[in-house]
Amino acid sequence: MITVGIDLGTQRIKTVVLKDGAAIARAQAFAGFDPTKAAEQTVQEALTSANLKLSDVAAFIATGSAMEMAPYNAGTVSMMGADAKAGVYLFPKARTIIDVGAEEARAVKCDEKGVMTDFVVNERCAAGAGAFIEAMARALEVKLEEMGPLALKAERASPINASCVIFGESDVVSLIHRQESKPEIARAVFDAMADRISSMMHRLGINPEVVLVGGVAKDEGFVASLNRKLGLTVLIPEYPDYVGALGAALIAATRAKEGAK
Amino acid sequence: MNKAALEKKYTPEMPRKEIDELRSTIKAASQRVIAENIERMKKADPHRPEAMKYFDDIADLFGQRQKEIQAEKEKGKKVIGYMCLFAPTELILAADAIPVRVNSGWYDTSKLGDRVVPVEVCPVLRSTIGAKMIELSPFLEQSDALISVLTCDGMTKLSEILSDYKPIWGMNIPRVKDSTQSLRFWKDEIKHMKTQIEKFTGNKITRKKLKEAIETSHRATKAFRRLQDLRKGPPVIMGRDAMLVNQAYVWDDKKRWTEKTEALCDELEKRLERKDWVCPPDTPRVLVTGTPMFWPDNWKLPTLVEEANPRGIIVADEQCSGERILNDPIGVDEWSMDDMLNAIGERYLMASTCPCFTSQDGNEDRINWLLNKVKEWNVQGVIYYVVRGCMLYAMEYTRVKKALDKINVPIYYLDTEYTREDVGQMKTRVEAFLEMLTARVDF
Repeated sequence: MITVGIDLGTQRIKTVVLKDGAAIARAQAFAGFDPTKAAEQTVQEALTSANLKLSDVAAFIATGSAMEMAPYNAGTVSMMGADAKAGVYLFPKARTIIDVGAEEARAVKCDEKGVMTDFVVNERCAAGAGAFIEAMARALEVKLEEMGPLALKAERASPINASCVIFGESDVVSLIHRQESKPEIARAVFDAMADRISSMMHRLGINPEVVLVGGVAKDEGFVASLNRKLGLTVLIPEYPDYVGALGAALIAATRAKEGAK
Repeated sequence: MNKAALEKKYTPEMPRKEIDELRSTIKAASQRVIAENIERMKKADPHRPEAMKYFDDIADLFGQRQKEIQAEKEKGKKVIGYMCLFAPTELILAADAIPVRVNSGWYDTSKLGDRVVPVEVCPVLRSTIGAKMIELSPFLEQSDALISVLTCDGMTKLSEILSDYKPIWGMNIPRVKDSTQSLRFWKDEIKHMKTQIEKFTGNKITRKKLKEAIETSHRATKAFRRLQDLRKGPPVIMGRDAMLVNQAYVWDDKKRWTEKTEALCDELEKRLERKDWVCPPDTPRVLVTGTPMFWPDNWKLPTLVEEANPRGIIVADEQCSGERILNDPIGVDEWSMDDMLNAIGERYLMASTCPCFTSQDGNEDRINWLLNKVKEWNVQGVIYYVVRGCMLYAMEYTRVKKALDKINVPIYYLDTEYTREDVGQMKTRVEAFLEMLTARVDF
């Protein structure tokens, strides 16, 4: 059976094609001004790469903040529900999944079936999420992907405030004025984010094993800070940014099977 | 009057033209919100009870009820407004005056309140200040005096700020509930308030009048409890409808409200017999607790829950804008003046689950209320609702979460502001929570 999961995130749309319980194709695009169209493109691209047609798909499920704009009359599942499902599929022992995306950070607790049992979302500010790294990279005049490697070179940590992107930025500016080095400032940015996410996790209670997903999981600087802060090594899947879409595709398969009964 | 008496200590002078323009814009927007809220409530329940029509009319804050109060005022009656539920409304009724609650649910006026206090301050207070600045709230404008019970820090300072406009009677409420000296102190406050009201209205509160007022409250509590009991089983009324009925009590004529609520319950009982549910009986049953949600703007959470995908239904709440209004009767033994005043004192202090209190075991009464509601009303999930700046509710969350974790009932902390802009984010969270409850139901 072929099912498709589409994750319509705030910045990017990710699509996963699932065949008999295995992900066989992926595609992503910028959400842009027309998320529906962008989603259609990713689905077409992924299906084409797997030599499949739209008519081969048994079910579509969408997730993500723009899930209601999904094409093909897709059903929906919450981002937290999708993360829980895919987290346990990828790491059967996982009971906590952290998802750090562009605008939001979430943590989900789940049971052995991948059904969520509790969740928290960061407060209404992007300071704990990917957009914060982007803003800080701009302030440091480095590319986004340089932030992680830079931070790993830091010899010590300088604390900054990450309760808000704007305050964070002015703190970074004062570090620049104090002539701190770029690696140290980069590390300060990741430490501040990890701090926020870890206090959010502590409110939820941490059930090992912990999986980190979402686009920001690809940033080694952030991962190092988070591991230090949580005192454990988070598990990261091969395609962390596709985990929401994978969860949606898995749930599509379950629902299609239930529907067929 | 001398100049000093006219000078405002807290609020800025606003040109008359600006006041009138802002009021007319915000009033028009508010009337649209009221109409839209009611339209959506009608749509949510295709067999919405006939009796709801009456409460829809009362909910028009610029409509019939304020005209009625105005007419009474013209005949010489005094209107006494209040913010917190601890104001002894029976004393107001017994003095032949009209009690009315004046907390503000308007989002737009909270931005005006920002001219007086910083944005970190609870938006309920900022909104009330803003409403007063532009004379928006009919009930607040009609109030000849305000009873301000000094509960949270915000309420305490709000009363000072409102003293720029109205006579304010502060009531000093003790924070430690389970001590005899607290109760003694509070009973004195009640007695003092009786004298205050008598002096202000020129009407003596006689034994007979007070007994009558307490009996009016008793009948209202009975109707109120009957309504909440009807929410225990498979749903025969949308949560929003019941919440509106509950909240309408604070604006309405008490006897008429009771009659209309009984009529609503009669209809609901027939509905129960017909098994005519407002939504499938397996719809996740939600309890809301936390910061009060004042009509009309701050209706976003109940609307989200009951229009979400998957849908939920609110079957109970633990809020001072909701079930705390009338849940507890005044327990009178002997109908002597002293005994009645003592009974009023006990009812307002001891029965309250407001987070402004503490006791030997913290705010244990609140925990017990929640556990009882969860059990008796078959609640499957709790939404802990907090507006930014509402510190007492925010600080009690972990205690409540632990108590609910113990009985394996999920709880979600939802924080928001007096704004419409975060509805999208709230929706994501509410839907994920309801999805989680649905998944639990499926097992």
